[in-house]
Parts: sequence; C-alpha cells; structure tokens
Amino acid sequence: MNPPAQRLQDVDDLQRQLEGVGYIAEPSLAAALLLMLDLGCPLLLEGDAGVGKTEIAKALATVRDARLIRLQCYEGLDVHAAMYEWNYQRQLLAIKLLEHDARPTAEKEQDIFSERYLLKRPLLEAISCTEPPVLLIDEVDRADEAFEAFLLELLSDYQMSIPELGTVRAVTRPLVVITSNGTRELSDALRRRCLYQFIDYPSFAKELAIVEIKAPQAAGQLARQVVEFVQSARRMELQKKPGVAETLDWTAALLRMGISVIDDDGAERILETLSALIKTRADRAGFTREVVARIAAAC
Amino acid sequence: MAASPELDPGAVLLARVAGFAGFLRANGYSVGGADSSRLLEASLQTGILDQQVLRWSLKALLCGRGDEWRRFDALFDAYFLPPNKSVFVASNVVSTGAQATGEVHEGSENEPAAGAGHGVVDDDDAGAARHGASREESLATTDFRDLSEAEHARAIEALMRRFARRLKHLYLRREERAHRGRRLDLQGTIRNSVACGGTPLRLAWKHRRRVRPRLLVLLDVSRSMSLYSFFYLRLARALCGELADVHCFIFHTRITGVAEALRDPDPWRSQERLHLLAAGWGGGTRIGECLLDFNRDHGARLVHSRTGVIIVSDGYDTGEPELLAQALATLRRRSRRMVWLNPLLNQPGFSPESRGMQAAMPHLDLLAAGADLADIERLLPQIIETLR
Repeated sequence: MNPPAQRLQDVDDLQRQLEGVGYIAEPSLAAALLLMLDLGCPLLLEGDAGVGKTEIAKALATVRDARLIRLQCYEGLDVHAAMYEWNYQRQLLAIKLLEHDARPTAEKEQDIFSERYLLKRPLLEAISCTEPPVLLIDEVDRADEAFEAFLLELLSDYQMSIPELGTVRAVTRPLVVITSNGTRELSDALRRRCLYQFIDYPSFAKELAIVEIKAPQAAGQLARQVVEFVQSARRMELQKKPGVAETLDWTAALLRMGISVIDDDGAERILETLSALIKTRADRAGFTREVVARIAAAC
Repeated sequence: MAASPELDPGAVLLARVAGFAGFLRANGYSVGGADSSRLLEASLQTGILDQQVLRWSLKALLCGRGDEWRRFDALFDAYFLPPNKSVFVASNVVSTGAQATGEVHEGSENEPAAGAGHGVVDDDDAGAARHGASREESLATTDFRDLSEAEHARAIEALMRRFARRLKHLYLRREERAHRGRRLDLQGTIRNSVACGGTPLRLAWKHRRRVRPRLLVLLDVSRSMSLYSFFYLRLARALCGELADVHCFIFHTRITGVAEALRDPDPWRSQERLHLLAAGWGGGTRIGECLLDFNRDHGARLVHSRTGVIIVSDGYDTGEPELLAQALATLRRRSRRMVWLNPLLNQPGFSPESRGMQAAMPHLDLLAAGADLADIERLLPQIIETLR
C-alpha cells in the first residue's frame, strides 16, 4: 500500500504536468486520471459542451508523450468506419495481377487477405500501437446503441475479431477517454465499465487561470474582467451557455479590437465582439446595449 | 484482506471501504458486485489513509451519472466522517435516499397532500378520491371510470400493442446494409465480389434504416385532472413496457420524472413509488413553470429531433400564460412534433378558451381529445402520422 502522502504528491505532480501543457485540472480529475492509469479502465467524461472534455485527452497525450487517436462519433457510425475496412479496390487489382501467378491458390488468397490490404480505422489503430496511445472516443452519445454495445466488447477484452484474419489482440492497452454531451442516455453497462468524471463550468479562479495560461497577452485586469463577464453571462437564462472555448475566443476578439478594459462606456464596441461569445439568435437578442453596460459596469 | 488479524487498522479500514459500496447501493446508486472488487483494488492502489485522495478516487470509480456525481460528497461525508461531524449531512442523505429508491416511506407521510396523491394511482383509494373530486364532472363524461378493472387493463394493453407496433414501423432516410432491398449497395457488392475474383455474383443491398422515435409523455396530475390521470398513468406504464425509449414525467406544481417508477416490475411497488413522487399534490397547476423546469433540467438530455412530445393536460393553468407559451416554444423547437391531449375537449360546451390553452395553441402540431379509450383509438393514426 502506498503511503498516502505519496499518492497526494502524485496527484499534485500530474496536475502540474497538465498545467505545463496548458490544461488546468481539478485535483479530483487528476486523481481519476491516475486511477485510470492504475486500473487500466476507460474514463467517461460528461458535462456541457465547451467545458474542456476533449482537451483533457489532448493534454493527457502530450503529458504522456503518447499518440492521440481520435474517433469522432456520429449517428450511423458503423464497424467499417470505426474499426477496419478491407481495401477492396486494391484487392481486386491484386486479384487481376495474380491471375497469371504460378503460386497455389491458397497462398494467393492469404496474400489478398493480409494486413497490407487492411485499412485501419481508429479503434484497430489504437490496439495495434506498440506504445500505448490515448484513444479519444468523442461524443459517444451521438452514435447508436448498437455501436455502444460493440464498444463494450472492445473495452472489456481489448481485442477484436476480423473474420478473414483472425483475432487481433491489443499489443498495449490504450488509455481510453470517452466523452459524452448527454444528448442520449448511455447504457448502464458502459457506465459500469468506466471511471466517471462530471465536468462543470469552471469556477472564477479556474477560468481565470485558463485565460491567463492560454491568452497571456490579456493583461491582468482584462483577463479578470473577461472572466467575470462570462461568469455572469452563464448565470443568465441562455439557450447556449458560453463554454471555456468561447471565453478564449472572445478574449482573442477583444484583443484584436484593441479593447483593453471592459466598462459600461465601451458597451457599443463590446457588442460588436459578442458574436464570439453568444451563439444563438435568441440569446443575442437578450444582450441589448443596456444589459451589456450593466454587466460591464459590475465587472 | 479478510484473512488479516482483526486489529490491523488497515484491514478494518478496507472492510469499511468495502461497506461503502453497499451504502451507495442503498442510496440508489447502481453499484454492482464487480464494482466492489474494483473498489478494493483501487483502494490498494491509491492508499486509503488520505481522505481527499480516497474521495476523488471513489467518486470517479463509483459514480455513473451526473446526479450521482452531485450527491456523492454528502454521502461520502455521511459514511466516513465521525457522526458528530456529519449530523447535518446525514439527515440530508436520508431524504435523498428516500427519493431515489422510493423505499423509505416516512417523511412524505405527513405532507398534507400525500393522501390526495394516493388517489391517482391506488385502486382502492381512487374511488374515494373520485367521489370527492367533482360530482358535476362525472355527469358530463362517460369515460374511463366506467370500465371495470380487468376490462380496462386488457383494453389498454391491446391498444398499446397496436400503438407500439405502428411506432416500430417508422423509417429514417439513412440507409443500412441489408440482405435484400431496393437499392444496390455498390461498396458492399465490390466487397462481396472479391471472393469471386471481381465478378459481381453476390449483390449487396441497402434499405432504409428503421428507427423508433423517442416519446416524451408529460402528464398533468393536478386535481382537475384526477379523473383522467389514473388512466393515463396506466397508459404510460403500458407504453414503458412496450417501447424502450419512452420518458414520462408528471407535473402539478412541480415536475417529476416517473419513468423509473413506472418500469418497476412489481405493480404494487410501482404504485407506492408513484405516491411518493406525486407528493405535494392538490394545489393549482403551474404548467408553464413546470415545463420551464423541464426544459432547464432535462430538455437538452431528453428531447432531440426525433422526439415526439405528448402533453396530457386540461390546460387549466394558475401560472402566467406567457411562461407557458415561452416554455412550449422552446420545447417545440427542440422536438420533432408536439401533441396535446385534452380530455375535456369533447365535452359539450367546452372550447379551449382557458388562458393556458390559448397560449399553447400556436405551438402545437395537434390538439386532440383523449377522454376515453375510443378517443385514443381514433387518435392513434393521427398521432402516429404527426410523429412521422
């Protein structure tokens, strides 16, 4: 059993490493990532869009110096797009070329169904790497239930069977990060196999740290005001609350416009940059000049 | 670890950690046996003497969804902190536990409204509640109440089977590979012909993918609806049994999800759980506020472009009609179709003039009556057509 101080130290180290590559992680997230490395099970991340779920996988890959393999899920995603596909065109070409070959048929057949003609899709790619990669399965809730069931099989044994080739076992276990936006309820079976982490919108201090690390040009006061403004915008009744990505976009927009301080006098110019922060028409209608001036004055 | 001597503090602590899984299960978490063993493995990895690290690790390991995530810290404190530090938290925990599992009945008994809530779902009490509810209304309608229990159940079941069968036949434009169909799948055909040296002997086909729409039932269980809500709860229960993707909520002054309770295989326990959920019953209806709450808490999760929303309510709203209009507009934008069943619609002399109905009308795809089985029967084709 590790001494407890050691583990706390590890959590702290990982947090600092992640910060080094530009990701501010809560200690609980760092602890979950460590546990994921220990137990070798996938990590399921849930939370609203734009809270930095995908970024975690990228940061983890950088910290571990591993390859990042990404599978973007969508409705209708099937085995051929996610796992493997035979390169039929090349196979047919090879058949024509082999017609006048003197080798026995069985040998030719073996040749045609060999790895040379296999197109590796993300999942097969991930389990055939020699160094454990980070496998990001993004927005798994968009894929169908059928795909989820199939994913379960892969995640429990880390192997997949290709009828013509046999079973492919994982050379190394990939670090699997799964994200979900909650547009569909995930199955209990998938949840049970994963570690779980719910990511909320960042607190003031955390968001400030993110802005300072990602947009160092924003001077101290501007960064604080930007974050304050976004945080109060999130408290409003909006259809689409701005995420961290929007905060960063907006900071960049403000810098580009040469705005270095947010106050109620500058409401007109702030309005011009709001397209980076507010993404629906109804929400935009709620941000009148008066509203912006009021929030800006409070910053 | 069980073999270690009893006085070993590490072993005692580990046993305590292992007991935590059971504690969470009792509080409505879906923690299985495999989790308990992973729990021990994880505790050995992380060490269990540091409270914070243990908390973060167990949270990642044992939570499965957002609401579990939010409740976890309080439960963790209640279990691991010494009692004098956790009095406040523990009392919180008991009440959340009761809501989640529906097995603890104290606490809502003394709510004045719980008795009335009883009336909707419990057969014996339902009679009493009906008498008390409104005699005048009973003269005007010839609806569900006249059906006897067994007949009632059979009729609903048959109806639901028909409904479910029809719903299973909705198709999407997206295609999938199939053994036969109307369109040739070129990629698949080439793939099949590899085995025959490139001659397309075995053809592959595509057909349109079948998909079942998601149904969202929002059921008004306020007192003015008490004659009907019993029937509709049964209907919802039958629907949940037949179809996989059905989500049911009841509302009066608050909105509560009842899908879990309806799916309970034990009908008696299902009713018990519904009583608990319907607590607070009997005041006016605040449809607008309830729908706003729904949009905020569940809208993004449950309503997508293939969701058919069915609202069952008489439209008597004590809240602001503007709120209702706003909430319905949001819900309508998210969903595919919206159907409103108003049991009072076919009553002689009734026209949808209540302010709530007036506010709702512009956002509905279909407003229909639904006072008895024949009504619903007549409506099925229309509803299915609307959901298509």
